[in-house]
Amino acid sequence: MSEGILTVRRSFLKVWLRNAQVFFALWKFNFWPALAEPVLFIFVMGLGIGSYITEIEGVPYLEFVAAGILGSAAIMQATFECTYGSFFRMRIQNTFEGIISTPISADEVGLAEIIWGATRGLVNSTLVFIILLLMGIFHRWQVVFLPPLMFLAAFNFAAIALLVSSRIAQMEYFRFYFAGFVLPAQFICGTFFPVSRFPEAVQIFAWAIPFTSYIDISRSLMLGTPAKAPVLELFYALGTTLVFTELAVRSMHRRLVR
Amino acid sequence: MIIEAGSLHKRYGDVVAVDSLDLEVEPGMCYGLVGPNGAGKTTTMKMIYCIVEPTSGSLEVFGLDVRAHPREIKARLGVVPQENNLDPDLSTCQNLRVYARYFGIPKDIAAARCHELLEFMHLGDRADAPVPSLSGGMKRRLILARALMNEPDLIILDEPTTGLDPQVRHLIWDRLLELKERGITLLLTTHYMDEAQKLCDKVLIMDEARSIDVGSPAELIRGHMLPYVLELRVDRKLTAEVLERFRHLEHQASGQNLYFYGNTTSEFDDLTGAYPDIERLLRPASLEDVFLKLTGREIRQ
Repeated sequence: MSEGILTVRRSFLKVWLRNAQVFFALWKFNFWPALAEPVLFIFVMGLGIGSYITEIEGVPYLEFVAAGILGSAAIMQATFECTYGSFFRMRIQNTFEGIISTPISADEVGLAEIIWGATRGLVNSTLVFIILLLMGIFHRWQVVFLPPLMFLAAFNFAAIALLVSSRIAQMEYFRFYFAGFVLPAQFICGTFFPVSRFPEAVQIFAWAIPFTSYIDISRSLMLGTPAKAPVLELFYALGTTLVFTELAVRSMHRRLVR
Repeated sequence: MIIEAGSLHKRYGDVVAVDSLDLEVEPGMCYGLVGPNGAGKTTTMKMIYCIVEPTSGSLEVFGLDVRAHPREIKARLGVVPQENNLDPDLSTCQNLRVYARYFGIPKDIAAARCHELLEFMHLGDRADAPVPSLSGGMKRRLILARALMNEPDLIILDEPTTGLDPQVRHLIWDRLLELKERGITLLLTTHYMDEAQKLCDKVLIMDEARSIDVGSPAELIRGHMLPYVLELRVDRKLTAEVLERFRHLEHQASGQNLYFYGNTTSEFDDLTGAYPDIERLLRPASLEDVFLKLTGREIRQ
C-alpha cells in the first residue's frame, strides 16, 4: 500500500471534523486553560520583568517580547495536541484504528492530526493576538500577517510532535521530548531576548530550530526592524514543515497499518 | 467468493502470526474463526479489513486485492473490533453520525439510519446518552449498530459477545441471524463454541497460526468425535481405576473429569452400572469437544 501526503484525499477533513466536534463537546475544559500560559507570560514578562527592563533593542520590553509570547502560544498548543492528544487518541482510545477501518487511510488520519494541532495553535495564538491588539502594542498594519504565520509555526511543530508520537512506545517518552526540544525551543529561540546574546554554538542550535525563524519574522512584522534573512527563514520554515509532515504521515501509516 | 485467501502469511519479525492460511467465504454465510488466544484469528481479520498488511500470499475481498483496493473494500465492510473504540466524549448518536461521515453518507440519510439502527439494537431511548453512561452490553450493541451504518455487505466481528450477559448475547445472536437472512455475509471469531455452533455455517479452527480443520459444525463433530459423550466427575482416588477398567472405550482425562466417547449411549451402560453413584452427564458431542481434542487442554498464552 502506498503512503505519504500525496496519497491523501480530501476525506482527511472528516477526521479534522471529528476532532473539532469532540473539542466543542469539551470546550470549557479545552479553551480557557490553554490561554492561561500566554496571559501569564504577558503579565510576568511584559508587565513584571518589563517594568525593570523597560527597553530592549530600542523598543519597550512588552513590544519586544510579544512576538515570543504569540509564537509560544501557537507552538505549545500544537505540540500538546499532537503529543499527548494524538497519543491518547491513538493508543488509549483506539480512535484511529476505528477510523482506518472505514474508507479513511492512515495517512489521512496523520495529516488531519497535524492540521488539527495547527488549528488549535492558530486559535490560541489568535486570541493572544487580540489581547495584544487591545493592549495597543501593535503600531503597524503588517501585523495582519501574524495569524497566518502562527498557523504555519503551529503546523511545523504539530508535524514534529506527531512524528515523535508515532515512534514512541509509551507516553512517558514525551518527557524527553519536552525537556530536550520543546522547552529549549520555547526559551532560546529569541522568545525573551535576542538570540545574538548567546555564544556562537548556541546560536547555531537556536537557528536550527525553526521557531527562531518564526519569531524573527514576526518581530520584524510587528516592529518594522529588519529580519536577519527573511526569505531564507521563510523557506526554512516551509521546508521543515513539509519534510516533517511527510515524515510524520508516513510514520503514522507504519504505526497504524502493520 | 466474498473472501478468498491463498497461502496467506503474516510475520512480525521472527513471530509468525498467520501461516499459509487458505480461506474461502461464500456470500451470505456466517463463517467462524475459532482457536486459542494467539492463534492468529484477529490478525487474519485485520488483514481482511485492510489494517494489517499480509507478508505474502493472496487475499481478495469482494474479488478485490487488499493491497491494491483497501478503500473500496473498507467502504463495503462493517467492523466490530475486539476492543471498544467508541468516542467517549460524544453521545451514542454522535458516535454513529461521525462514522457515517467517514463513509460519506449524506446527513439526512445518516440521521434516519442512526435512529433506525438504535431501535434495531434496542438503544432507541439512549440516542443522546453519553457513552461512559452505557453498560458494557449497550456499548457492544452500539458498536454493532455503528458497523451497520454503511449498510455493509460483509460484517467482521471480533469476539462480539465476550463478557456479555445471556440476555445481550441472545439479542446479538438474533440480530446477527436476522442480518444473515438479509443476505449479509458474517465473519466472526469467538471463544464460545456454543455460539459458533449456533451461528456459523462453517467454522475454521486455528491453532499456532495455522488452520487445523474447516467445515460445518456438524461435519467437524462427525469427523472428529463419536456422537455421544459421557462426562464423569470422579474422585481422584478412583480415576486410575475407572480408566483402567474402561480403557477399551475412547476416552480423555482432564483432572477429575473423565470423558468417554461412544457410538451409542448403550456403550456406556457397563460403566454407569459399575459406578452408579458417580456424578455424570450424558450428552451429544459438541464443537467444544472437537476444539479441545484438536487444540489440546493445556493453557495457552
